[in-house]
Amino acid sequence: MQFLNVLNANIRREYILLKRYLPNTIAMLITFYVLFLGMFFGITLIGDPSTQDANIQYVIVNYIFWFLAMVVVNDIGWQITNEATQGTLEQLGMSPMGIWKIMFSRLLSTTLIEFVIIIGLLYLSMFTAGQWLNVDVLSILPVLILTLISMFGLGLIIAGFTMILKQIQAFLQILQFILAGLTFVPLSVAPFLAFFPFVKGIDMVREIMINGVTISEFAMADIAILVFNAIFYFGIGLFIFLRCERFAMQKGLLAHY
Amino acid sequence: MQPIVEVKNLKKSYKKRKTKEYITAVNDISFTVNKGEILGLLGPNGAGKTTTIKMICGLVKPDSGSISINGIDNQSKRLQAQEHISAVLEGNRNLYWRLTVRENLEYFAGNRGKSRKEVSTQIDDLLEQFNLKNKEKEMVNRLSRGMQQKLAIAVALLAGSEVILLDEPTLGLDIETGYEVRELLREIVRTQKKTIIITSHDMDVIQDLCERTVIINSGKIVTNDYVENLMKLFDVRAYSIKLDGHLSEEQHHLLLEKFPQLVYTPDTYQSVLEVDLTQSQEMYDLFDILKLEQIPVDTIDRKTVNFEQVFMKIVKGESEDAIPERA
Repeated sequence: MQFLNVLNANIRREYILLKRYLPNTIAMLITFYVLFLGMFFGITLIGDPSTQDANIQYVIVNYIFWFLAMVVVNDIGWQITNEATQGTLEQLGMSPMGIWKIMFSRLLSTTLIEFVIIIGLLYLSMFTAGQWLNVDVLSILPVLILTLISMFGLGLIIAGFTMILKQIQAFLQILQFILAGLTFVPLSVAPFLAFFPFVKGIDMVREIMINGVTISEFAMADIAILVFNAIFYFGIGLFIFLRCERFAMQKGLLAHY
Repeated sequence: MQPIVEVKNLKKSYKKRKTKEYITAVNDISFTVNKGEILGLLGPNGAGKTTTIKMICGLVKPDSGSISINGIDNQSKRLQAQEHISAVLEGNRNLYWRLTVRENLEYFAGNRGKSRKEVSTQIDDLLEQFNLKNKEKEMVNRLSRGMQQKLAIAVALLAGSEVILLDEPTLGLDIETGYEVRELLREIVRTQKKTIIITSHDMDVIQDLCERTVIINSGKIVTNDYVENLMKLFDVRAYSIKLDGHLSEEQHHLLLEKFPQLVYTPDTYQSVLEVDLTQSQEMYDLFDILKLEQIPVDTIDRKTVNFEQVFMKIVKGESEDAIPERA
């Protein structure tokens, strides 16, 4: 019950800030849309016409997941950097709930709030491209939830390191492109990436949305890898976050720069 | 009185990044804070008071020693101990500037596991008490520094903890707001029986609010005593004696021989002797000389020592033999 109150407080904060920084949010959406248009017209103008439709569909899914990964993984790093600079990180560190629960609820609330935007972007992209993907919610949702859990794990790792290093902005910039790489590269090209966080999940969502596969049609091995990734990355993320928190407390690093 | 905070043999060192040398920030300090007390934790810059405060808050892990808050060890049961403590560590920087007054209060309460409904009445009361009711929908960045400071204290109070730590609660405030904050703190202790630990460079605030002070210098406690005792201790020593006329060279030397710290300031027609008399016998000695030399005394004033001067004397080490640790 107490955690639900923490989550509720963070969802509310996220929503209020999104509204208050509306011009920023709109600018971010326009940037992403323009980027999509760039990719879309690139494929239309210089791509192979025989695979054009499939390529556009891939781009839509990959691009939407890139946005999601950025929101979940990258944003928490920026949030911690800002909290440390503002001087509020120590206040969060004094909560009897523990910082990790607050950060986890931040991850959840950011994802929930931004999800509405992501759905909007998805339909806008499909409308622009004239390519309507298979939005089978019942099949997508379980895969998406498990994928998000592994993303949260990665988010906690980033949050932990940011807490210690603080000056991580340059890395966060690079991380955007690493995330792009992980979302855009198909598993058929690099099968080992199945054990990377969220790559398997995105591949499965692609199968559902582009090829119309349903959840029951996936092999058990696929589901097992997805579940394993979710548990492993969330577990390792939480472990690293708690170690980083401990280290930060030993070195007195929760304060501002 | 029952201690609510117990600090025992606390030690903390930091490694310097460049030289890899270890710097001792806090060196084996012990003290207690009683329930319902306002304790001043003082020290010059770099004395180790912020590190001590952060260790009490559970934000910095000590190398050794223990801290218990309301009987709960804040290392082995950190989160449990944190239910009993809240703090304003960086004043207005502890707030979210793009949230309103009420949203800040609700958000921080939420992060402590409380629902908005649960704290709604309490928030109304605090807004009333802190004169912020008409600003509840105002964003923090639009508030004055004083209002932000009051809000930061209200956030700490809303936590409902028995112990509150305030780092420089009146820093940067104008006289009127500073006074208002002091009154609020006094009221909180009186009506809500809270325990407050304050650090401040403003000795007026300490003298006004605190019953007792722990003074830290170079990571060690140099004094742990009641403000009243410290004031008395230094107050009785300092005298200013106004003389009619001036001292001759010989007379000045004679006095300096007996009272090496004596300060002689000649003026146009009069002159002033400023002297610290450690023991009452010294007073007789001084007047014997003045009488013998037939030096006319106009007035004698016992200099009023303020707490800032007391603090400076303690930090400079003038108290080492004189002040025992009492509390």
